[in-house]
Amino acid sequence: MTFQMPKFLRGFRAILYKEFIVMFRDRTTLFFMFFPPMLQIIAFGFALDNDVKHMAMAVYNEDRTTESRQLVDAFVNTQTFRVVKEVNSVAELEAMVRRGKAYVGLEIPPDFTRKLHAGQKADVQVLVDGSNSTTALQALNTALGVAFQQSIGILLGETGRRELPVEVRPQVLYNPSMRAPNFFVPGVIGTALQIAAVFAAAMSIVRERERGTLENLFVSPMTRWGLMFGKLVPYLCVLMVMAAFLFTILRWVFFVPIHGSVAMLFVAAFLYIFALISLGLLISTKAESQNEAMQMSMTIMLPSIFFSGFIFPRETMPWIFYAISTLLPATYFIELMRAIILRGAGFLEFWRHLLVLAVMSAVLFSLCAMRFKHKVG
Amino acid sequence: MPGEVMIQCDNLTKKFGDFTAVDRVSFSVDKQSIFGFLGPNGSGKSTVIRMLCGILEPTEGVGRIAGHDVSRETEAIKGSLGYMSQKFSLYDELTADENLQFYARLYGLHGEAMQKRRDELMELTHLEPYMDRRAGLLSGGWKQRLAMACALVHKPSVLFLDEPTAGIDPVARRELWDLLFELSSAGMTLFVTTHYMDEAERCTHVGYIYMSKLIVCGAPDDLKQLPAVNPAGTKRLDVNCDHVTVGLRAVRKLEKVRMSTVFGQSMHLLVDEAMPEQSIRDALHAVGIHEVDIRPIGPSLEDVFVVLTRQQAGAQS
Repeated sequence: MTFQMPKFLRGFRAILYKEFIVMFRDRTTLFFMFFPPMLQIIAFGFALDNDVKHMAMAVYNEDRTTESRQLVDAFVNTQTFRVVKEVNSVAELEAMVRRGKAYVGLEIPPDFTRKLHAGQKADVQVLVDGSNSTTALQALNTALGVAFQQSIGILLGETGRRELPVEVRPQVLYNPSMRAPNFFVPGVIGTALQIAAVFAAAMSIVRERERGTLENLFVSPMTRWGLMFGKLVPYLCVLMVMAAFLFTILRWVFFVPIHGSVAMLFVAAFLYIFALISLGLLISTKAESQNEAMQMSMTIMLPSIFFSGFIFPRETMPWIFYAISTLLPATYFIELMRAIILRGAGFLEFWRHLLVLAVMSAVLFSLCAMRFKHKVG
Repeated sequence: MPGEVMIQCDNLTKKFGDFTAVDRVSFSVDKQSIFGFLGPNGSGKSTVIRMLCGILEPTEGVGRIAGHDVSRETEAIKGSLGYMSQKFSLYDELTADENLQFYARLYGLHGEAMQKRRDELMELTHLEPYMDRRAGLLSGGWKQRLAMACALVHKPSVLFLDEPTAGIDPVARRELWDLLFELSSAGMTLFVTTHYMDEAERCTHVGYIYMSKLIVCGAPDDLKQLPAVNPAGTKRLDVNCDHVTVGLRAVRKLEKVRMSTVFGQSMHLLVDEAMPEQSIRDALHAVGIHEVDIRPIGPSLEDVFVVLTRQQAGAQS
């Protein structure tokens, strides 16, 4: 008894057989499929840590009293700053920041302690290098926090109260330590899989066109669906292995806890990869040369890096970019990853995202097969 | 059965934008014949083959294989059609055996049937010692055999070969032709494009395409009898002598020599029937050539194509 292939899938098994052999023989392609994603996850995971600590701070303390030194200590105790140099003039302070030797300059005027004790407003100047908005914002917030705490301490002493009238006790859910890898690595998995899947699939048919083997496939009784499924399945298998690999790195190299269902992670990965390969195959059927396929892939993938919510939050995007983001498979996959890994969300909370990916896969794949002309020229 | 039409083209035309690659080409090929399709590069040979294989849509006209319209009944012809393209269409990463198995599977063969066919083709093409070698590492001749085996895997009744002998050595070339005759005698119809006149002479029928138009088509011997090739009141002579290029220059000055060309150690002349051989001998003596051997010959296929090409080029300008 042999399983009879349905007619519309004629040629599927032959293509499958060939693609698997070619894929494992063609070490360069395999290397370029695996290496960039691995590099990406390692680089992003380790380097993209935007919890800034121990920023270089220059101090110009004109007051030189116990109180003023306590203020400097208060800054250092936040762990956000470290004193790199004590300077002796405002000009020197500004120069330190301008030259990038210090991110922050702290100037305590000579009358600081006097005004403090006199119950007057004691001014402290803080210079912040605003060229990197993320670190500047953090420096600013921390500095304001220090000033606020100092003021509160003094006011409490004056009123005789021991506690603040209102106290906010924030509790960060889902990524309590607010570690950057927890946020970034799930996103990196999305972009890494995308690069590997789209490039590999985009090359696959156009390469046969360039080599002339496509002509012989057209002459044979192979069907379009047979060809497309035969191309899809091997890449799907290899990329699922890669996804497993990336999840392993996420869990055991970056120690990101997976709060949700691991099975669901793989379901999401499956649908996502299916959509990406279909997109790649679609490019491959349209491109005339491997070069053109490469350029088309780049053009399609670039928006995913910016608009998928991988780095910038989608909620704050202008409507046009937000609209683009809703068309990208990466958007849904990255949201799914964060929901399942960080929030431990259950199926009922994210089934819509899975559905969107499934629909995208089905539409893109059908487009490939149906719009593919069984002809040359 | 010979006499039965296997391939037929009626006004087959292909335009790419403003360029007409194939212009109203009509001919037919009988079953079991070896049809040689000749013409310079870019004259439209491959385009005709692609249309007949159903992978290129004709702009106008109809092509038929065994009575089936190739652009409408594509599915019906696929099982009976074999195609060996110019580039051989092999997968370099696969071994010879794997290439063969791939094409076998593509045509729905597997298991024992595939093994049996594989063994048959291995014997037919003598590929056995190379079966485990990567196709990319095979020499031109072996690549061509492998491509041939792949094209034959489903026992097609018509085989199209697009310049199968381009760039391979003479031994491989002769062996390929032996194989083609073997296949033809087993009932297969062969459609071969080539640049080589000696290959054309081996075909049962030839067609010559020039600047997108089919100029002539028929059995080589019939073509050599064409009036255009044998103008009334002329004869063809083979003149064998030393210093043939010097001799040619002298002979060309004679009024009654209409056409002349060097052919190895001798020259082929088309002269007025009334021209006495002595006048040629005299002209050669005058330039110091004394050993001269003259005999009458018939036209070659090359003569046929040269005459018809000139005629066509003249008609167009």
